[in-house]
Amino acid sequence: MSSPVVSPSASSLHFDKKARAPQFRNPVSLRLYKVLGTNFEDEATREALQTLSELYASSSTVKGKETLRNLEEDDIEEEWLKPTGFVADELLTEAVPGESAARARKNLRRDMERKLAEGSHQFLKAFGEVDQKLEELQQHVAAMHASCDEAETQLKLTNESSAMLLERAGSLSEERQEVENRKSIVTLFLARFTLNDEEVEAMTSRDIPVGKRFFEAMDKTERIRTDCRVLMAGEDGPTQAGLDIMASTSSHLEQGYEKIFRWCSYEFRQMGRDMQVEVGMTMREAIRRLRKRPELLTESLTSLSQARQATLMSSFLTALTRGGPSGLPRPIELHAHDPMRYVGDMLAWVHQAIAAEREFLESLFGLQADGRMVGSVRVFEQKSEEEDWIRELMDLAVGKLCVPLKIRVQQTIRSQESSIISYKIANLLQFYMITMRRTIGDTAVLSTTLNEITQVAYKVFYDSIETQGRALLRATLDLDDPSLTPPLAILDHAQILREVMNVYESSLLGDEGEAEQTAGFQRILDVTMDPAIEMCTNNSEEKKRLRPRWDREVYVLNCLSYLQSVLEPFPFTSQKRQTLQEVVDEHVVRLTEEHYQNIMVDAGIAQVAETCLKHDGGEPMSRIPATLPTILQTALRNFSLWLSGLEVVQSPRLSQLTAQRLHIKIHQAALERMARSYQVICEQVKKPENKYEAASTLLGSERPFGQVNLLWQIFGLEGDNVNASQP
Amino acid sequence: MPTDDYEGEATELLETYDFLMKYIILGEAGSGKSCLLHHFTHNSFKDHSQHTIGVEFSSRTVKLGEKRIKLQLWDTAGQERFRSVTRSYYRGAAGALLVYDITNRDSFTNLSRWLADARALASPHLVAVLVGNKSDKDDEREVEWAEASRWAAENDVHFLEASSLTGDNVEAPFLLAARSILLSIESGALDPEKAGSGVSYGDRALRRVNSSSRLSFGSLSGGRKKGTIKLKAKGWIPGTNKCC
Repeated sequence: MSSPVVSPSASSLHFDKKARAPQFRNPVSLRLYKVLGTNFEDEATREALQTLSELYASSSTVKGKETLRNLEEDDIEEEWLKPTGFVADELLTEAVPGESAARARKNLRRDMERKLAEGSHQFLKAFGEVDQKLEELQQHVAAMHASCDEAETQLKLTNESSAMLLERAGSLSEERQEVENRKSIVTLFLARFTLNDEEVEAMTSRDIPVGKRFFEAMDKTERIRTDCRVLMAGEDGPTQAGLDIMASTSSHLEQGYEKIFRWCSYEFRQMGRDMQVEVGMTMREAIRRLRKRPELLTESLTSLSQARQATLMSSFLTALTRGGPSGLPRPIELHAHDPMRYVGDMLAWVHQAIAAEREFLESLFGLQADGRMVGSVRVFEQKSEEEDWIRELMDLAVGKLCVPLKIRVQQTIRSQESSIISYKIANLLQFYMITMRRTIGDTAVLSTTLNEITQVAYKVFYDSIETQGRALLRATLDLDDPSLTPPLAILDHAQILREVMNVYESSLLGDEGEAEQTAGFQRILDVTMDPAIEMCTNNSEEKKRLRPRWDREVYVLNCLSYLQSVLEPFPFTSQKRQTLQEVVDEHVVRLTEEHYQNIMVDAGIAQVAETCLKHDGGEPMSRIPATLPTILQTALRNFSLWLSGLEVVQSPRLSQLTAQRLHIKIHQAALERMARSYQVICEQVKKPENKYEAASTLLGSERPFGQVNLLWQIFGLEGDNVNASQP
Repeated sequence: MPTDDYEGEATELLETYDFLMKYIILGEAGSGKSCLLHHFTHNSFKDHSQHTIGVEFSSRTVKLGEKRIKLQLWDTAGQERFRSVTRSYYRGAAGALLVYDITNRDSFTNLSRWLADARALASPHLVAVLVGNKSDKDDEREVEWAEASRWAAENDVHFLEASSLTGDNVEAPFLLAARSILLSIESGALDPEKAGSGVSYGDRALRRVNSSSRLSFGSLSGGRKKGTIKLKAKGWIPGTNKCC
């Protein structure tokens, strides 16, 4: 290609001149024009030419050299190489211009071809090498391939064998899972249905104290047994495992209960020594659990009871004989001379001990205190088992105290000479008996003992007042004492009675009915009053016999009214007072009769009145010796005189009566009868068949002039009443 | 130790105590002794209260600082006819509450007799508190505060007014007496070890004493505190006692 390019360029100037020639239509010229018009200024052409020039600029030398090299031996090559630059320069400068170009034009194709061949040769050589390397590579690849194949085979083999292994491993792991499951089930089962060593130890060992751990183990055992029972109740019936579990837990449980029992018994013996005790949570829990084993509970409570008995007993004896520290408070027995205080202190001590004991037992059995105050009324309903226990234990604990208490109280009672003190003690005992009954029940030993002592105390008291009554009956009156007032014996007796009544009244609570109050004192009144009344009435007969002038009736009434006044302030004596009143009334009637007779005699109309009253209407009265008009007149005169006397107002005899009321009553009753007798006299005298001459003159000559109304006025009596009361 | 924990928990549940004190409540009939006591033990007013017959008993545990004190309270009848019975209960009492009715002068004028009785029969270290009851009825007042206060000072007793109707100051006399008694124990004047002092150690105190010597027990306010607080914390936080 170089040739067509080169050639135009070389001759361009010549063709330019020709082109301006007129032959424009000539194809050659056209061609020329076209060639000439071709612009070689473009980049590609320039580069091509550049390359070409460079090739040749050096190719002359190179050519020469190569030619030489081709022709000559290789050893000359170096010689040629050195001066090449110079030669080229020389050639370029010295050679004729265009010489190399011509040569180049001539040899271009050859040169090119040679160059191509050279390049191809080089390529060939290079590719040969590449080929060689590639072959080597292929060998390697093949080797690798072989190895890979081998490996694959190996892998396949391995895979096959490991598949088995895997399968085996899978089944093993499944097995293992199953075993694990089973294990966890078994563990759970064991945990649920058996006790571990620690728990067993807690329950059975003496080294582990009874406490939370122990109770937890007990709880678990109980739960196991419950669960196990549920399981065994299934359709399959009891299994061996179930039976084993039941057997082993049962033995552990029993040991557990034994342990609680031993512990409780020990603790009870310990705590028994203190007077004031309190109960810990553990103890309460232990008792609560022991209730499932009543025989063990009973046994341990027995030891508690014994301990408490002994403690209370010794505390009581200490309080009795030794008192507090350095003698304060003083020993109770120091006050044995003061029976009320002595007995009261002892009973109060017992009562206080009961209160403390009750609190202790309530907390032992975990009972909430019912808020009731000890001493106030306790209702004994069969509330619970605990209540029963508490009651029994209380009974036992304080029961022992009964012996020393009873001895001392009885001794005190028996040594009393005063019936008042005896009565006070009896009352005190009764008060405590009621209190204790409310607190510890009717059947408790202490209650029955108190009941017994109270009975004894009352018996002593009754004996004492009965003796007193008998002594009163035997008492004789002082014959030389003219007074009509109650004798000293009666006064003393009444004084004792009065004090006894005071005590009784103070022992009343105020809520008893009147009948109850009366009934409570009836016996005492009978025992004291009856001999007193009897003494007043009977003993005086003897004196009357020996001292006829002694006014027995007034004396008796005085005594009786004194007794009445003693009973008066006490409402519960009303029944006795009524009986007494009857006796009094009887005596009043008697005295009234006597008094009437006396005043009739005094007034001088006794005989006249008697005759008048007895007159049966036979013989005229004026003929009867006792009522002859003269005698009648004398009698009336005497009566008139008597009427102006003092005795009308008050009777000297009756003024001996201490009760003014009785004096008036008796005197008035007598006067009334007198007035009525006078009326009878008047009526009889006025009767014509009695044949009194100038009857009204006879009556009217002396006061009250036959006028009964006037007599009533003189006596100061209400006429109407009398008229009304007239038969 | 697990056991101790168990019991420690129980301390809060059960009424264990450090000291047990016996109190008597005295005064004329109708001054409101039983009502005062009822309010103290039941925290409510006792309506339609009847006259007390003889003596009645109740108890309550109170807390004073870190010490728990169980009070055994003997409520006595004020009526004269029960005098011989109630006097037997004075024996060995550590504290006495002298109750009068501020609206009833008669209930105040007889106090000297009650106090003399109590001093003669109760513990030699008897602590008495004068309580003017029915302080809610101020408009019917017959006994002035100042007068009662003077009387109390002259007779060496504590004094305050309370109302068992409203519950005002009801606990104060009981606590006041307890504090006084505790002070005399701390000062060594009163020894709960001896019977008849009206005071005795409770299980709670004894349990602690057992570990140390009895003599070191003199310092009541010391080391005890720790234990109590610890126990309390256990009671408050459920499950903490499962530590072991």
